[in-house]
Amino acid sequence: MSFQIHLRKLLSASALSLGLSATSAASAATPPATPATPTTITFYHYQTGKNYESFRRLLNEFEQRNADVRVRDIFAQSEQITAELQAALASGRQVDIGTVIGKNIIHFLNNTPAVALNAEPAKAKFLDQYLPVFLDLGRVGNKVYAVPHAYGTPMIYFNKDLFRKAGLNPEQPPRTWDEMIQASLVITQKTGVMGMGHLRAAMRDYGAMLMVTNAGGQYLSGDGRCALFDSPQGVAGIQLWQDLVVKYKVMPLAEDRQMQAAFNAGRLAMYITSSASLGGTVADTTGKFELGVANYPLFKDGMKRKTPNSGAALMMYSPAGERRNAALRLLAYLADRKIANRWSRESGYMPLSKDPLADPDMARYVKGFPLVQPVIAQMADTVPTATWGEKGALEAQTIVSNLMDALWANQGPATRLVPEAVARMNAAMACSKR
Amino acid sequence: MAAVPHSVLTAAGAPPAVPLAARRRLPGAPYAYLAPLLVLLGLFTFWPLLHTVWLSLVRWNLNPDVAMQFEGLGNYRRLFESTLFNDAARNTAWYVLAAIPLKVLLPIPFAVGVWSLGRAGQVYRTILFLPTLISFVVMAVVFLWILNPIGGLAVQAGAAVGLVVGNPLGAPASAFWTIMGLATWKILGFNVLLYLAGLARIGNDHILAMRLDGANDWQMLRHLIWPLLTPTTFFVLVTTTIFAIQQVFTPIDILTHGGPFNATTNLFYMVYQYTFRTFDVGLGAAGTVLILVLLGGITAFKLRVLDRYVHYQQ
Repeated sequence: MSFQIHLRKLLSASALSLGLSATSAASAATPPATPATPTTITFYHYQTGKNYESFRRLLNEFEQRNADVRVRDIFAQSEQITAELQAALASGRQVDIGTVIGKNIIHFLNNTPAVALNAEPAKAKFLDQYLPVFLDLGRVGNKVYAVPHAYGTPMIYFNKDLFRKAGLNPEQPPRTWDEMIQASLVITQKTGVMGMGHLRAAMRDYGAMLMVTNAGGQYLSGDGRCALFDSPQGVAGIQLWQDLVVKYKVMPLAEDRQMQAAFNAGRLAMYITSSASLGGTVADTTGKFELGVANYPLFKDGMKRKTPNSGAALMMYSPAGERRNAALRLLAYLADRKIANRWSRESGYMPLSKDPLADPDMARYVKGFPLVQPVIAQMADTVPTATWGEKGALEAQTIVSNLMDALWANQGPATRLVPEAVARMNAAMACSKR
Repeated sequence: MAAVPHSVLTAAGAPPAVPLAARRRLPGAPYAYLAPLLVLLGLFTFWPLLHTVWLSLVRWNLNPDVAMQFEGLGNYRRLFESTLFNDAARNTAWYVLAAIPLKVLLPIPFAVGVWSLGRAGQVYRTILFLPTLISFVVMAVVFLWILNPIGGLAVQAGAAVGLVVGNPLGAPASAFWTIMGLATWKILGFNVLLYLAGLARIGNDHILAMRLDGANDWQMLRHLIWPLLTPTTFFVLVTTTIFAIQQVFTPIDILTHGGPFNATTNLFYMVYQYTFRTFDVGLGAAGTVLILVLLGGITAFKLRVLDRYVHYQQ
């Protein structure tokens, strides 16, 4: 009975918006008749400041083109969004679209009633607009549960003025880690400024994953229940991070916010952090020094770059019916290449669609704002971020954090400390499938 | 037995008989008056408490669509086997112990100093109280900048006087004491205010009497001020030690995330991580129950043992 009611609601709602929800372009072009009571959907997000203004503007425009839908955006700090969303779902509050941090997607897939976005293929054509690798993070078999939204990729931000002062060519930034180290040593010697910083992210987890992945290793198993970075490649990646601090002494030990502040103040020559920081960094450094942006360093010359994405995806929780239709129409709208490109331009997040430069607006933007060119070039090197399983995840992440502390305190080489840490992590996560 | 006021005695010297109707109403009346408070306490204190105990016995992830699995004491076993818990429990003990000299005793000389200045002390009272008014989040972010090892204010100030200031948040001991120092600075003014309220109860006649007897400042402090300040000290001790665990949550979350080497985490932060970072509600609830037992034990010890040394009458 309940199914029949849902089906009837679904059919009636679908009849109203079938053609509109199939593709975002169509939905954007032909607004439906305004019903007496618009369907309200909720959108949990962590956008603030100018990003929020841009985000809300997109939602307002969607509402103008879809007069039968209202979108209520609900804010939580990026570090709290996971807890807020989980609490909202647990307490039965209305959640239609939620912003989920990449590394938590498996948890949300396993533990929340997320809806497959391609359950109805006719309404899932918008998924084809995304770069396929960006959908892998939320893909389970043939089902897609998450679409990219606020993705970043790690870039080298560098101070061109300091490069010049040190006698280096700022138009030829370092390409490999060896070149990074050499450039750092020269800059410190010639200018007295520290060479480089590398983002850690909470629990040092993302930084460690990035080092391991770019060195050709695998951080976690696909189900997130086994740590795998005790491979030679993984150990080499982690050893590099120790060497930067202990052996070459080119990287100070500081929190991410401290390194970003130091870079913006001209006290750090290079800082590796997310492309999502591009807009803020440009704003904070304009008038102080000339900013440069380059691709994440290759682990070794000749190796392929592999950079896990940072940031968050969108998952849908709407029950079948009008709300689900409305949520799918909104997701389709956001996936539209022109809209997705605009979101990327205004927020600084990575472009998300295939061939973003096919959009003349984006091509013009990139031509006028060359700092974003390396970001677009690095899209091809992006791999899905590793996601954690459920059991023992906190203990395992704590072990990673303590491992990095031990390496930076020079308590031993990675060849000894990494296998010990991986063994403890796998015991904590009850890994049995290695 | 309390004496019955003379005016309510009958001519025969016996208390007047309470009318039967009034006596019938009396038994239920107190409960009726207490009912709103009892309902509120039940709903918002005792039911959550009991529910937390229940949650500590199950495996659950906050998802209403997922059934709870009864684990019994399994969550407690997992907790005791966890390195994170052991480190958090050890640090919690340190946070509580360090709170006694820094947050309970240190404000006393400040309060006595301000009190002895009379009206002129109000300026210092305001200055001391200011950190209490500042948001702890704002304060922690500001200190993150001040302590920035890459050219932060502390580094520059140190360099100006020939000192090398490293990264206080980079080593276990210095990170712990940085968090502790920040928490002390935040609460010092508030506790000074409590002590000033206690000092205000000391009458001038006591002071004059001691002065006439030739008492010096130390004797005044030792034999008059300290004994009469013990009720306030006891109150500050109980509230500060209970609050000590949760008060450091914000600086931990913003400055260190519990590191390095788990040196700054505590049970409160660990519970938050289990419950809202990895949604292991059972472990989070088990940790909460252990915090309850710990704080209950500390409070019982204070009430049973330390209360004997408190002078409640002037």
